[in-house]
Amino acid sequence: MTDKNKQDPRLPDETFEPYEEPRRIPMPVYWIAIALAIWGVVMLVQMSYSTKIGDKERASMSDQEVAATTPVKAEPKPDAGKALFADNCASCHGDAGEGVADAIPPLHASDVVKAGGASAITHIVMRGIGGPLIVDKANYDGEMPSFASVLDDKDIASIANFVASDLNGLKSTVTPAQVAEIRTASADLNPWDGGSGLAGLINGLPAQPASETAPAPSPDAAATAALAMHGTNEIWSCASCHGDKGEGTQTIPRLAGLAPAYLAKQLHDFKEGTRINDSMDYVVKSLSDKQIIELANYYGAMSSPSGARPSLEGDLARGEKIALEGDWTKNVPACFTCHGPSGIGVGDKFPGLAAQQPAYIAHQLAMWQGGSRHNSPLGLMAGIGKSLSDADRRAVADYLASLPPAAANAKLALAVSATTKETSNGQ
Amino acid sequence: MANKHPSDIPPPGPDNAERGQTALRAIYAISGGLALVVLGSLVVDFGWAPSWLTGQKSAPVAQVKGEKTDLFTPPDERTIPNDDFGASVRRGMAIFNQTGTNAHEFVGNDLSCSNCHLDAGRQAYSAPMWAAYPVYPKYRGKNKMVNTMEDRIHGCFTYSMNAQGSPSGGPPPYGSDVYRDLQAYFFWMSKGLPIGVQPEGAGFGKIDKPAKDPSRERGAEVFAANCAVCHGDDGMGQTDANGKQIFPPLWGPHSFNWGAGMHKVSSAAAFIQHNMPLSQPGKLSVQDAWDVAAFIDSKPRPKDPRQTDGISLQEADKKWHKSSADFYGETVDGVVLGTGYPKDAGASQSN
Repeated sequence: MTDKNKQDPRLPDETFEPYEEPRRIPMPVYWIAIALAIWGVVMLVQMSYSTKIGDKERASMSDQEVAATTPVKAEPKPDAGKALFADNCASCHGDAGEGVADAIPPLHASDVVKAGGASAITHIVMRGIGGPLIVDKANYDGEMPSFASVLDDKDIASIANFVASDLNGLKSTVTPAQVAEIRTASADLNPWDGGSGLAGLINGLPAQPASETAPAPSPDAAATAALAMHGTNEIWSCASCHGDKGEGTQTIPRLAGLAPAYLAKQLHDFKEGTRINDSMDYVVKSLSDKQIIELANYYGAMSSPSGARPSLEGDLARGEKIALEGDWTKNVPACFTCHGPSGIGVGDKFPGLAAQQPAYIAHQLAMWQGGSRHNSPLGLMAGIGKSLSDADRRAVADYLASLPPAAANAKLALAVSATTKETSNGQ
Repeated sequence: MANKHPSDIPPPGPDNAERGQTALRAIYAISGGLALVVLGSLVVDFGWAPSWLTGQKSAPVAQVKGEKTDLFTPPDERTIPNDDFGASVRRGMAIFNQTGTNAHEFVGNDLSCSNCHLDAGRQAYSAPMWAAYPVYPKYRGKNKMVNTMEDRIHGCFTYSMNAQGSPSGGPPPYGSDVYRDLQAYFFWMSKGLPIGVQPEGAGFGKIDKPAKDPSRERGAEVFAANCAVCHGDDGMGQTDANGKQIFPPLWGPHSFNWGAGMHKVSSAAAFIQHNMPLSQPGKLSVQDAWDVAAFIDSKPRPKDPRQTDGISLQEADKKWHKSSADFYGETVDGVVLGTGYPKDAGASQSN
């Protein structure tokens, strides 16, 4: 500012620098600074507010959990069997054990129960039963899952005694110790083979239909099992993530017992990019359409115990309500309206949910909500995902994890010769 | 242009100053932009932004909520008392949800009350029972007499549950416990509502007349795209591995008969528009709802039980089906609709 000023003022300054001129800080800079300061304060206040809300939510949830669990644990009431029946049996067999006409045999005043007593009930609860069965002169042909992996000896004894005495007026009872013996004897045994399978168990069993012959294993069964268990040189095996029994873990889903058409559809979706998961995207690339069908049949036919336990600290009572009744104030129908009673799955579009890994369910619901999974028919799950809060997702996931796994349904197996179009075009 | 006088060339000084100005302007512009972004994010964060800007459907949700708060909320089933009255309410609820099991003798198809009266008869605009109970007894044009609630349920069994095909061959006899328990359930559900006032949410709600006459051809496309996932390509519904009916059949021998309210295209259209696909009410346009209702109505189903021996299809059509535009008595795809099925016929029978 010194020498240059001595220049002829009429001539342009040859060494002008913009910062040389003494200037006030322009107003917009003040505004920006003030705006940023306000924004910062607002964000601070808001953060602390949402933290408070979160704290409150957690506190109220743990209160609810305490309220939901304590009465059961504190006092094993004499009607514990009734409560356990309502929680574990009623969703299929009805609140009063009346069954469902042409689908689920009654447990109330049932000739099979009357002949077998509490011990036979224990055997059936422990192993499950599937195939033709005659109860009270009516024919049934369904699949009841094994409850061994979700109920302890005491609970099974309570349920068996409730069914024998309260629903059938029998005097026969079982003790938890007897249930434990039956559990040991039943380990690794398949479900009872329909009514004919019970013949050796129950004296005076009413006449039963012959059992269905098991479908012959596919000629490629051994190769498919090897693929699932050991993979190939290029790809790792299914079992390395989904477990030897297809039971899944964490956010890796249970596959055992899911409808083959559903499994095949998901694999095709991974292949086509309509469902996205880095590991699966890589694996499916090397699978042929035939291998996809065979693997889907392999896992669809697999019966294995539940590998899931409630682990997300969800509110089980709330989860049960969503699964059984839905929350219509949010346009959320009951899960079981479409996924079947107790989440056993319906057809090939509504997969079984029972015993699915809770972290997987909660994660998938969040993905439906966010739109990163979007391959459900009619976008049904997107709408439902958007309606469920984080607490609801954990609640329903934990409830589903508490259920016994659905029995495998051999009738749903896909024909290996089926063209791939049929499976991939299905929603 | 080519030969510029040296004085025309801008002196370097002002140019420099201008460059400084440009830098300043750039700083202002960037900061101004930043400030706008900050303000914008604040606005969005607080939910003040209009929904067309954010793409979120905050406004419609709020509307739906506001609408729902005006509706009556029936009591939670956990509040059913644990006494003899409560036992009757529970039996009524069991009949309502599993009609074929708990009123087995009187049901001639694979439906339950709760297939159309959704959420165990609690859902507004799917003919909730809490909206019906307070307005009975009432006069009904359908049978031209004052109907008690028992008369009304008698009609449900006769038509919607197709009692003519049931083990007993008819609806529960008057005075049956089936009526007693169902009414106890409805009564319990309606607690607090005024008598004689039809509450909002009653029936299937209103639906506008369609712009074009309902078309079963367009309806077939709507059905394939929106309904077949659950009800099946053949409309027969779906069962689970145990054989329990999960999705109800919409036509055929195991569905409601030609006398049921749901066979009227207008009723079905209103129900569909307000309730279907499940969890996505309002997804189908008014026109789509009418079209798909017409498509469903153009399929065979059990005969109208009022058309007994000695009454021809034409007479029955004139007497009971002229006031409503339906497909009764018409020939669709070579099949005369309304003739029903021989008693206990299987699904293989045509119409």
